[in-house]
Amino acid sequence: MENMNSYNIPGEICNKINKWLLKFPSNEKKPAIIYGLHQIQKESKYIQSAHVDALAEFLNVEKIDVYEIAAFYSMFELDKVGKHTISVCTNVSCMLNGSDEILSYLEKKLKIKVGCSSDKFFLKDERECLAACAGAPMMQVNHKYYENLTKQKIDEIIRDLDDGR
Amino acid sequence: MMEDKIRINELCYSTLSSDKPNTFETYVDQGGYSTWKKIVSSSMSKKEIIELVLKSGLRGRGGAGFPTGRKWSFINQDSEDIKYLVCNADESEPGTCKDRDILRYNPHALIEGMLIASYAIGAEVAYCYLRGEFIDDVYSTFKTALYDAYDNKLIGKNILNSNINIELHDLIGAGAYIVGEETAMLESIEGKKGFPRFKPPFPAVKGLFGRPTIINNVETLASIPKIIENGPEWFNSVGTKDSPGFKCFSVSGHVNKPGNYEIPLGTPFKKLLDLAGGMKNGKKIKAVIPGGSSVPVVPGEIMLETNMDYESITKAGSLLGSGAVIIMDEDTNMVEVIHRIARFYYSESCGQCTPCREGTGWMYKIIDKILKGNGTLEDLKTLESIPNMISGSTICALGDAAAMPVESFIKNYKEEFLNYIKTQEEVVDNNYTNNKEFVMQQK
Repeated sequence: MENMNSYNIPGEICNKINKWLLKFPSNEKKPAIIYGLHQIQKESKYIQSAHVDALAEFLNVEKIDVYEIAAFYSMFELDKVGKHTISVCTNVSCMLNGSDEILSYLEKKLKIKVGCSSDKFFLKDERECLAACAGAPMMQVNHKYYENLTKQKIDEIIRDLDDGR
Repeated sequence: MMEDKIRINELCYSTLSSDKPNTFETYVDQGGYSTWKKIVSSSMSKKEIIELVLKSGLRGRGGAGFPTGRKWSFINQDSEDIKYLVCNADESEPGTCKDRDILRYNPHALIEGMLIASYAIGAEVAYCYLRGEFIDDVYSTFKTALYDAYDNKLIGKNILNSNINIELHDLIGAGAYIVGEETAMLESIEGKKGFPRFKPPFPAVKGLFGRPTIINNVETLASIPKIIENGPEWFNSVGTKDSPGFKCFSVSGHVNKPGNYEIPLGTPFKKLLDLAGGMKNGKKIKAVIPGGSSVPVVPGEIMLETNMDYESITKAGSLLGSGAVIIMDEDTNMVEVIHRIARFYYSESCGQCTPCREGTGWMYKIIDKILKGNGTLEDLKTLESIPNMISGSTICALGDAAAMPVESFIKNYKEEFLNYIKTQEEVVDNNYTNNKEFVMQQK
């Protein structure tokens, strides 16, 4: 996890977290950790230690409570990542339908290795099934589903991302 | 022939026949929320509802198959304690994609089911926990449906002037297979790592925030409104005695029309395969994982003679699980498949129990060694001994889920493992021979 000097949670995110807390008994603050990290990551792309400390302070919980969550759940990125996250499902159903070829096609196309980032892209080998097995092979781009992938389809998706659409 | 026609998508997928399956209007047009309105206005008793669900024989659709009515009856209705309902929408059993389609295409059935279940167990707060990866499209569809139901005063305080109060909240995870285990989900909702809890106490006694809690799967809850509306006899007029009703099956793998098919339990596998368009490229069927990657693999020829219900699949040596049917053709490399499955459990074990944390790693590393051509007979023997050491010695079922497939793949396809090893031993042998010749030449 990278270090940066300090971080103040933007007011808008604070409001959202406070609203989220209304779903739980009033003395419970930890249930907003996951949600809070999602909001911070959405804005900052990946989680750094100052983010964790700021969220712990805001929720009045121990820092370790937030660190644990950031480390345990796979969607939280603790290292710098590219602008767009591409997660290719490589679990059984997708594997049977050629997900490994899809992954290596993307490696070549984006010129990055699996698990690595360029400025623009972060390519992830998603080991957990993403629950779209009937549309295998599939991937998520910034958590949007793209199913029944072909090389041609991937070319189009990447072109759109490159164009900033 | 009439009897050959399969009844399809009548329950959880009933809105699929509409152009706009997920809207409030479509659901209401199909008679949706009438059950909830009736319960609220006639104050149908909690006991009556639980009785109907018990009678229907509905079994939990998340994978364990526990009778839903019985689960609900574990709640002590006389207790004044706060109670919770939790909907498990952390769909992540490999091969399973049925709940995502309920959330996307029939979210109101789930919401109505959650309301009825909450009322029946005496809960005034219910949570629907969606897996983190649903955060974009699936989550927003569900949220829209939830707001629509709130706007129509079907949820909230004093619902339709009945003095009934139920709040229904959406929650989102952040990526962890283990959170699909019900007590791990409670931990996650409480804002902690997803470590399964030791049982007892069971959640119905001490669950979320220490209060009595019932956790049900999406499909289970979405089945409730129609079961109450049409009566338990409508539901259990299809299926078998021990597996009544309709069930959603996610068919994936080497078939022409992979997809979700909601059919009567007890339907022959052959017919489900037909619905899914048959085998791709006219290939022969080799193997089927009938209930998600956590259940034992079954050879194709046995599956072709098996019906899709709990007891038939048990007889075939596996489990119905979540209803994820992964179909493999004759060209499938079974060592590669189990390698992928073992890799998954290795990366998803939460690490709390030693047999699972270490055992999943051992299994993956040995299979990896075998697949790379470096395995020995000794390795295969070790691999065969591991499942037995994990099963039954962990807090939750992930250990068993990791062990069962390995055991069954070796049992049914040992030849393929041996082929990898044989090649290796030949190599070893050749090296030895070459070396011997070399040594002799030197002499």
